[in-house]
Amino acid sequence: MAFLEKHLNILDYSLSSIWQRRARNLSIILVFTGVIFLISSFQMLTTTLTQTAMTALEAAPEITIQKMVAGRQQSIPQSYTAHLDKIFGIRQIVPRIWGYYFDETSTANYTVVGLDTSLMPLSDQLPLTLSQGRLPADNGTGEVVLAPAIKKILAPNRRTFSLFRPDLSLKTMKVSGVFPDEANILTGDLITMNLADSRDLFQIPAGEVTDLCVYVANPAEIGTIADKISKALPDTRVVTRPQIKKTYQVVFSWRSGFASICLLTALAAFVIFSWDKASGLMPEEKREIAILKILGWQTGDIIAIRFWEGFIIATLAFILGYGLGFVHISLFNGTIFTPLLTGWSVLQPELHLTPRIKMNDLFLIFIFSVIPYLTATIIPAWRSAAIPPDSAIN
Amino acid sequence: MLIELDKVCKTYNQGLANEVNALDEISLSITSQSMTCLQGASGSGKSTLLSIIGCIIPPTSGRAAIAGKQLTRLPDRFRTIHRRETIGFIFQRFNILPRLNVLDNICLPLQPLGIKPKEQKKRARVLMQTLGIDHRENFPADQISGGELQRVAIARALINDPPIILADEPTAHLDTKLSGEFMEIMARLRVNGKTIIITSHDPLVADHSAIDQTIAIRDGRIDVD
Repeated sequence: MAFLEKHLNILDYSLSSIWQRRARNLSIILVFTGVIFLISSFQMLTTTLTQTAMTALEAAPEITIQKMVAGRQQSIPQSYTAHLDKIFGIRQIVPRIWGYYFDETSTANYTVVGLDTSLMPLSDQLPLTLSQGRLPADNGTGEVVLAPAIKKILAPNRRTFSLFRPDLSLKTMKVSGVFPDEANILTGDLITMNLADSRDLFQIPAGEVTDLCVYVANPAEIGTIADKISKALPDTRVVTRPQIKKTYQVVFSWRSGFASICLLTALAAFVIFSWDKASGLMPEEKREIAILKILGWQTGDIIAIRFWEGFIIATLAFILGYGLGFVHISLFNGTIFTPLLTGWSVLQPELHLTPRIKMNDLFLIFIFSVIPYLTATIIPAWRSAAIPPDSAIN
Repeated sequence: MLIELDKVCKTYNQGLANEVNALDEISLSITSQSMTCLQGASGSGKSTLLSIIGCIIPPTSGRAAIAGKQLTRLPDRFRTIHRRETIGFIFQRFNILPRLNVLDNICLPLQPLGIKPKEQKKRARVLMQTLGIDHRENFPADQISGGELQRVAIARALINDPPIILADEPTAHLDTKLSGEFMEIMARLRVNGKTIIITSHDPLVADHSAIDQTIAIRDGRIDVD
């Protein structure tokens, strides 16, 4: 009981010490909170975006085939599908036109995807719910589904708009549906239409598309089937979903790695700042330690005081910083870092994110922020407490 | 004997160019329930002697026995325990922590002992009442007078009920009236069984009727003249 009482007394002393030096401690808490806020926001945003992108890829075709000429992509004849008839395990082949449309007015690039959704397997269960309207019909009706941001630019307060064909003639389109805000990370710059309209828009010859999307019966066979397709169509590039996933991860890792370096620099600056603040014991602090020693406090008791002071300040700042980071992601959709992680496009997606916390990241940030701060506070106190305190009485 | 020193030497910065011999073969004995005055000029070594008796620093050589315990080779941890059980300190500049109030300053020596706050306050209030500072209980220490600070320092020295009280130049910053009051309190403590050692070059202390023996220190040695 005496041991517990002793540590309660020490904790009480530490709390009063924090309060008495509140101006200095508040400045440390503010800086510490800011650093943790930046790092935790970034870490949560990276995790959330990566996981959202990975979830989105689940709906993508298992294999995509593109024709290559001189190392560059060309349109692929739909007749190529005949070469794949004998490959066992292919469930469906869906032709697709995937292109980009540059809008000079908004200087934004829109992604245009043309495909007949009715050809897709499980088309009635597509995880593509629209906030309003319906998917475009398969025949060339000029119907499109687009992102809310694109609708605001191309068709504000109306249902029709026009896009330029390569020969500068105008193609009139009709908005049949709008993607929901929740899907913005996937559909923020997307216009979808049926295959015939996209072929008309990009003036792609009949019987040609940009990709052939292959759906397989057994996902475990993706690699084997992709190898067989490569052999059957040697002039094509065969991209599998696991490869796309890997590329996403690399892109996110590169971007997050770059930003992490910047943020770790901020953390290092904070550690130096805290070391300077905490380690430069002021004369009155040294005198206080000497007086406590003379009055019978052990070196371990002095270290315990500084430990609790540092722990309370660091933990409070950590909780505040992480909490603010959570709010930044959940309420403000990671406004500060979103442009860095979601691309350099003019048309930034409006994200609605639900923060995802990885416990090992949380633990890592705690270790790399709280522990250095505690070290910076304890070591100088230990040094001061280890010196004979007679200077205080002279 | 409560305090016994035999050929105690203290050398600072031993083996270095700035080596200083602060004490040179000091031998003395102090009985319990007595009041001793250590006299000497500034730099004579009396504060170093007080630090050795107070278990703050160990002697370089010689034997020092305080309240039955040999200090010469006692590790810092055990010196601290012995110090808080047997010695109360009154410093020249009182060394009261200005950021704490009077009550918390007095309770400081009790906190590492694991005594409950309620019990700490009870003991402190008895002492404050005895010393006439109970009306200053919640005052910040930097807002009370010099005389009251002195009494806070005395209360803090007595809170553990140690058998030995060490006072280092306690009247140096007090006027004659307050110095006289301080000596009266010390005289009462002596009657109540405390052993008191005061370093001072104030004649009012050295010549006080309650002083049992005066030991003069000069250049780190006991001045037999």
